Amino acid sequence: MTQGSNPNEGPLAIDLSGVSKSYGRRVRALVGVDIHVRRGEIYGLLGPNGAGKSTLVKVMMTIVRPDSIQGTVLGRAVGDKGALATIGYLPEHHRFPPYLTGRQVVEFSGAMSLVPRRERKIRAGALLDRVGLGAWGRRPLSSYSKGMRQRAGLAAALVNEPQLVVLDEPTDGVDPVGRREFRDLIVALRDEGRTVMLNSHLLSEVETVCSRVAIMVQGRVVSQGTIDELTASSRRYEIVIEGTVPLWCGTSVAVQAMPPGSLLTAGISGAGTRLVFLGLDAAAAQPILDRLRTEGRTVVAVQTVRESLEDLFMRAVTDPTTGLIFKPGAAS
Amino acid sequence: MQTIAIFVAAYRELSARRLFWLALGTTLLVVGIFASVGINEIGLTLFGLNGASPFFNTNAMSPETFYKLFFVKFGIEWWLGMLATVLALVTTCGIVPDLVAPGSIDLILAKPISRPRLFLTKYATGLLFAALQVLIFSTAVFFVIGIRGGAWEWALFLAVPIVTFFYSLLFSICAMVGMVTRSSIASLILTVMAWAAISAVTFGEWLTNQGLLANTMDIVACERVLADTTKPPDEDRRAEVEERLAHAMESRPNWLTAHGWFYWIYVGLPKTAETLDAMERVLIDTAKIPSGLKGEAFSGPRVFEPNEATVEEFQAAVHEQSASRSLWWVLGTSLAFEAVMLWIATAVFVRRDY
Repeated sequence: MTQGSNPNEGPLAIDLSGVSKSYGRRVRALVGVDIHVRRGEIYGLLGPNGAGKSTLVKVMMTIVRPDSIQGTVLGRAVGDKGALATIGYLPEHHRFPPYLTGRQVVEFSGAMSLVPRRERKIRAGALLDRVGLGAWGRRPLSSYSKGMRQRAGLAAALVNEPQLVVLDEPTDGVDPVGRREFRDLIVALRDEGRTVMLNSHLLSEVETVCSRVAIMVQGRVVSQGTIDELTASSRRYEIVIEGTVPLWCGTSVAVQAMPPGSLLTAGISGAGTRLVFLGLDAAAAQPILDRLRTEGRTVVAVQTVRESLEDLFMRAVTDPTTGLIFKPGAAS
Repeated sequence: MQTIAIFVAAYRELSARRLFWLALGTTLLVVGIFASVGINEIGLTLFGLNGASPFFNTNAMSPETFYKLFFVKFGIEWWLGMLATVLALVTTCGIVPDLVAPGSIDLILAKPISRPRLFLTKYATGLLFAALQVLIFSTAVFFVIGIRGGAWEWALFLAVPIVTFFYSLLFSICAMVGMVTRSSIASLILTVMAWAAISAVTFGEWLTNQGLLANTMDIVACERVLADTTKPPDEDRRAEVEERLAHAMESRPNWLTAHGWFYWIYVGLPKTAETLDAMERVLIDTAKIPSGLKGEAFSGPRVFEPNEATVEEFQAAVHEQSASRSLWWVLGTSLAFEAVMLWIATAVFVRRDY
């Protein structure tokens, strides 16, 4: 997918429905999860610890056996060897043997993904250069920092030139500069036509690169879509004026005068009085601005505001009835 | 491609361990000791020191025979069959637990390889280590016997497949326990305990079998004496034989029961000792060790002797029964045990989530 195309259209790389997994009778790690990732997009998987993100990824990679699952990955059944050969996977907390060199790690990964010997030798050098380990390829991983091991892992995940790249917390332990490089690399992978599934706790990272996200809480996908779609309901229009809150604000007259928006809050802020209208767009706000000007009010600022991904995430992981954060861990 | 990659990775894994080099160094040390032992007309020599021996000297046997015998008794029974096996178990007991360790298993299960194939290939890498160790030892001994004994005995290399098979019987237990417990220490300890238990059952079966055989022969011999009309025993002798017969008949159910229990347990277990015995038999036959030593090499100590049958008759019966358990019976029942161990480990591996 190139930037600018509709993220809700196109063939699916991951098309899974009803994914369930229980551990014993008490722990339900995944409860009928539906997930649909389009080819060529960067898809973010979010959720608190124990939400089931890694379990979902492990189900896709055949590391965990689901209780039930329907659908396909890259057009084939989950676990199909042909499909697995075209997926690159970097697991969370991976442990490559410390005595192997970076090059050996990449070459071993290539051999296990059925990449021909000559090809994987060529690719190993190129990939190590790409992740910034060109000069470290012949040194053992025991001499690498954590961030360097992540880079080596990423190179190993890409050795089979995958159509789908699944990255589970790829920037864990990576410094800010390295994170930036990782982000650039993920975008570059997307631009090459690959699908990237990114499982990360770093919301800013996901917000920056992902075209669509899913938020998981206690084994369920509670929100899924583009960030614009997910935050649309939270779109607000803020008008800051000098002086006190107009008397008509909050009255039925005001509400009728301002369809489709309605006054969300009105109160004194540092710069004056802030009026916040929910779901209002610029055109619909003009009558309000006209009225304020008619009354001789000074309009200090006008802006549209929408929820950040962090706000969205916090809303998703908060129990609306109690106002408390859902407890970590799978649903029981 | 994947199989080769796993073998190469296993070699790298083993060679990265100090234990691997310790095992290799110990093997070469043992070969050095083997090479330093010599034989002359007086007796044995060790690092140039002479020790007189009435049995081991060049008047009693040729240097070639001595070295072959030394290889069989010391090289196989003690080194390969005992110490090197423990060393190999210590070195390789971590192969399966390391395979299924968190962080490692995710990387490999996500690859297009089936779990049974992955596990069995990893299992084979453990056997490769044992085979490598035996190959190094056999090669070194081959040259020692060639140079010092004057015989280039290719049959020594039969030790590689047979000792590897012997090792595979124990390593299958190690792999199964390692898969179930995911612990190197547990797999090592339980394998050694299982080996001790197998040896105890084997000894118990042998002991009760000897007793049962002696009992059977005693009954046959007593009945033969009592039924002999050409030389009928006098009254005292008849009374004595009748008493012995009654005693033998009385104890027979106990022998049958005891042996029956041991035998059925024994059938289900791997025949580790018998596998090495078979190895010795093959080597003795192929390497043309004199027949006088042949019987000595595989006849066990005698615990029971029938009162009425002659020692020769009893020995002949023991040999006859020993021969009735063919090499194929030993290999077949052992392989069945190994297959069960591997099946359990594979089933656990295939069904488990990581």
